[in-house]
Amino acid sequence: MAIAASDRATARRAEALGAMLPPLMVAAERVAATVAQGVHGRRRVGQGDSFWQFRPYVHGDALGRIDWRQSARGDRAFVRETEWEAAQTVLLWRDASASMRWRSAAASTEKLARADLLLLALAALLLRGGERVRLLAPGARNLSGRHALDRLAAELALTDADTSGQLPQSQLPRHAKLVLISDFLAPLPEIEAMLAGLAAVPVSGHLLQVLDPAEADLPYVGRVRFRGLERESDTLVPRVEGIREAYGKALARQVDGLTSLARAAGFSHALHRTDHPPGTALLGLYGALAPARMPR
Amino acid sequence: MVFVEPWLLLALVALPMLWWLLRVTPPTPRTEAFPAIRLLAGLRANEETPAHTPLWLLALRLLAAGLVVVGLARPVLRAGAELPGSGPVLLVLDDGWAAAADWQQRLAAAETVLDRAERAGRPVALLGLAHSETDAAPTLSPVMPVADLRPRLAALRPKPWPDDRVAAAAALGAWQQADTAVVYLPDGLARDGDAALASAMERIGPVAEIRAAASAARLVLAPRAEADRLILRLAQTPQPHATDANILAQTGDGRTLARVGITVPAGATNGEAALQLPPELRNQLAQLVLAGVPSAGGVMMLDESWRRRPVGLVAGDATTADTPLSGQLYYLRQALGPTTELREGDIATLLSRDIAVIVLADRPVTDPHERDALAAWVRRGGLLLRFAGPRTAEISADMAENGAATGVPEQPTDGLNGGRPEIGAAPDSDALLPVRLLAGDRQMGGAMSWSKPAGLAPFLADSPFNGLPVPPEVTVTEQVLAEPNADLAAHSWATLADGTPLVTATSLGAGRIVLFHTTANADWSNLPLSGLFVQMMQRLVQLSAGVATPANDTLLAPAVALDGFGQPSAPPPAATALPASQVARTAASPRHPPGLYGPENGRQALNLATGIGPLVVGAPVAGARQEALDATLREQALGPWLLAAAVALLAIDLLLALSLRGLLRPTSLRRATVSLVVLAGLGLASLGLATPAQAQSAVPPDFPALLTRLAYLVTGDRAVDSTSQAGLAGLSDYVNRRTNANLGAPAAVQPGRDDLSFYPLLYWPVVAQGTPDPGMIAALNDYMGHGGIVLIDTRGDDSALAQAARGLEVPRLVQLSSDHVLARSFYLLDSFPGRTADAPVWVQRDQDRSNDSVSPVIIGANNWASAWAVDAAGRPAGPDLPGGARQRTLAYRFGVNLVMYALTGNYKGDQVHVPAILERLGQ
Repeated sequence: MAIAASDRATARRAEALGAMLPPLMVAAERVAATVAQGVHGRRRVGQGDSFWQFRPYVHGDALGRIDWRQSARGDRAFVRETEWEAAQTVLLWRDASASMRWRSAAASTEKLARADLLLLALAALLLRGGERVRLLAPGARNLSGRHALDRLAAELALTDADTSGQLPQSQLPRHAKLVLISDFLAPLPEIEAMLAGLAAVPVSGHLLQVLDPAEADLPYVGRVRFRGLERESDTLVPRVEGIREAYGKALARQVDGLTSLARAAGFSHALHRTDHPPGTALLGLYGALAPARMPR
Repeated sequence: MVFVEPWLLLALVALPMLWWLLRVTPPTPRTEAFPAIRLLAGLRANEETPAHTPLWLLALRLLAAGLVVVGLARPVLRAGAELPGSGPVLLVLDDGWAAAADWQQRLAAAETVLDRAERAGRPVALLGLAHSETDAAPTLSPVMPVADLRPRLAALRPKPWPDDRVAAAAALGAWQQADTAVVYLPDGLARDGDAALASAMERIGPVAEIRAAASAARLVLAPRAEADRLILRLAQTPQPHATDANILAQTGDGRTLARVGITVPAGATNGEAALQLPPELRNQLAQLVLAGVPSAGGVMMLDESWRRRPVGLVAGDATTADTPLSGQLYYLRQALGPTTELREGDIATLLSRDIAVIVLADRPVTDPHERDALAAWVRRGGLLLRFAGPRTAEISADMAENGAATGVPEQPTDGLNGGRPEIGAAPDSDALLPVRLLAGDRQMGGAMSWSKPAGLAPFLADSPFNGLPVPPEVTVTEQVLAEPNADLAAHSWATLADGTPLVTATSLGAGRIVLFHTTANADWSNLPLSGLFVQMMQRLVQLSAGVATPANDTLLAPAVALDGFGQPSAPPPAATALPASQVARTAASPRHPPGLYGPENGRQALNLATGIGPLVVGAPVAGARQEALDATLREQALGPWLLAAAVALLAIDLLLALSLRGLLRPTSLRRATVSLVVLAGLGLASLGLATPAQAQSAVPPDFPALLTRLAYLVTGDRAVDSTSQAGLAGLSDYVNRRTNANLGAPAAVQPGRDDLSFYPLLYWPVVAQGTPDPGMIAALNDYMGHGGIVLIDTRGDDSALAQAARGLEVPRLVQLSSDHVLARSFYLLDSFPGRTADAPVWVQRDQDRSNDSVSPVIIGANNWASAWAVDAAGRPAGPDLPGGARQRTLAYRFGVNLVMYALTGNYKGDQVHVPAILERLGQ
């Protein structure tokens, strides 16, 4: 498939953004259930390609596992053990609806562009950590390895056409990790239904809510006729300053509701404004996905 | 306040109608796309939206309309009293020298009179009191409309000579018009013809006199020369309280050598002050200028006679006179050569030209013709300086044997040639001595003497040497002695510690004869070896009368003339040449304006002060209506200001209307508001309504000079700033643990607001923002130009750097390599990682020798602060680095190198050359 130059450029930017953080290994307490086998070691003996240790032959070991080259150096037979390697698939999705293709004067980038960048940067981190990533889209494949990021960028560009704002219906592996990036401005019951469906699979993951600064602050003044982007009817506000506080409360209700919904479904939730540097949001994603650091 | 067109004020009645008209429907809404529109639905404003234009906006518009109406009615402020009569107005303006000091006020007062006349529609005539530059007597201008007279008034300049009131009174005799109002602006000085002028004006019509109340007329007089100083003199009209003035001593090219304050006591007409200048500077003195008062009377030009003092040297023994260290003239030449013009030759040759001082070093004057010639020259003002010696001692011994009368008569007769009979009768006696000398000389401290060489006594108060320090090591071993008599002490300018005179002097005519009782070389005394000798010689030379060339009847053409304001200019057309001998005595007039006369190398000065007697305050014209000059304020038309204010209000109204409709962005609105507030503040300040702002220097909470600190630039992005703070804290901690450097907690600075000079290193994480504050960039440039180091961290966002660092003076850069001092200053590094490791780091080219080869700026993208950052407990903060703990260590090492580089400059540069140095040492 042909990969557009702009996709490549986004991929490069995402890679540069991801270079600020060490490779991401997903905390996967149920990793065995995903039945995946990957290239990053779990520091334990198991199935894999990488050498882990030599162990003296004990009775019962298969003859084929004896490392003859090592055994020839001494008078005991050694068995070659490989490291247990496992990878987890992380499914990524971002909302491409019309409300995401919008930016206010205060923001330098559209919410969709920021969501793309964060998704790819996260993918770059995951790929460097040896995990597998997959776009949550019909026909998407598990991707891993060096050129996966470019392919992912290309696949991402294909999903631009889906402006429904709904999660695509596709078979989700059980206990998969999901990262959903959207503005989550839909009514809370709709979101609840979606999350309930996900929790039933069961999958868990992270919701990243990307908001424009104008959506967060409502900086308009005076008489403004607000026009929706997704076929909502217009709203005439005689004096925007007067309702700014009420709007702030409404937005807080939406965000808080989302947080509690996410928590109930086993998801974590974070808020990102497009006038903030993407590194901050990436750091949040990293923190949500990385295994808890051992106390020093 | 007067309205020129008061009927226009009727339009104010229409304002209520305007009020009704302005109650318009609210502005049309603006349309905005907004994704979160669902959240807006059903929100209620917590206050009701006004249904019509806000009241205050309405008031603003009404005020603007009212201002337009009032402005068009042309109000006039300070219209002043009406002029009496209905016929023409005669303006009599004194344009003599004394009017120059407050000329602008006089012109303004005259313009005020013209304004009044113009409003009343009366024609005006003008009479200046002084002769014009072409020496035309004062004449009345034709009676003409005010508009035609204004250019004439504007072209009028004060003259550098006194006014001529007699001629002016004669000119007024020709006035024919009836019903005239006379306005008189005198300079306030009494002069001939005051009465005639007053009666002439009163004959014409009622007189209003506008006088300058407070200021005094001032005149710089010729200074008086004393040995080591000039006494500056200032004349002025008596004042009820003591007044201060400053006189600037200036060179010919306008440089000021000194500023002397003169205090004239209350009621006095004269003040004096001393000006002390080293001889080198005194010789450059060209004029004395009264500071702050542009007037010909405030300028005293000093010509050559104040500076040029040629000194003639004559030795008794001409063959050995110039022998270094022992010749009779050697020390004189050393002492006088640098500051004066020295001439040599025999006495007749020296006298053939003008000369100020003749020094005779042990040279008796025995030839009667020579003696007569010298005596005549001294009487004309010459200074004869003699030194004793073996020959003088011999002659005085002869004279003592002959019983001849010596010494100069106490009261010489007048006349140049009248001295001969009084001077000694013996043909070979030497009469030109200030005191009678005893025979022979006196030795002290020789091989055959008990006495010790005598030191000098301190100089007496009336001696010209008064104030010179007497070095104790100066001693006299041999001297000629004066015959003791009653007034010997009065002739003594310097004595030895035992009271015998060392320097004696007497006056002869306008000149002086001075005798040093010891030699001019080191034979009899070590005085010529001392610095005191140089100072004594210079004072004696300054004491002499200057020589002006040529003092005869050569005609000298005016070269530079002063105008009425004391500025040098081309001589006016009427200026004519003067005989040289007359220049210093001529009073200033249009034919002979004050200025410099003669050729380039022999200028003579004609000063205004010469021909002006004591300054006396003139009496006011009897029966005239008096008005003070500074109270005659220019009337002011308020109309244009009111209209301008209305336009400004309407502009504000436009902005407000736009912002109410939401058509202004918040940022630009804020900017506009700020600039409006600033403009309004400036306006208030310029109106004098605002009290002067008191600059309060806030004491910084932690004194930055007491401890070395790293600093970071506050970007305003809270996350970035806290990372910078944590990063520099971590680095400071690491440096304190690993090195001898002792760094305090990092400081947050804002260039342009904080003083950067305390910080060796400034960390600047670049964030994307608008155009940088020029004050900040200027402060950073200054910091970098004076040895500071700025570490610019783009954090991977190179495009932001170009925007944020616009205007920064970045030198030519080169990529940092491992053989740069920065890679060697503490650890040996070959990479310079932060959170990222691969981005190149840029420093100043090594060849650039400015700032000791220390790069003022280091630019990189590795996000160092994030790698250095520690939390409050000192543990690494933030997520792990891609390269793990090793990368963090390397980042710290780079930081240590950086701090070392900032603290030691290129000192560690030697480390780079250690192999070469060891090799050279023979290792």
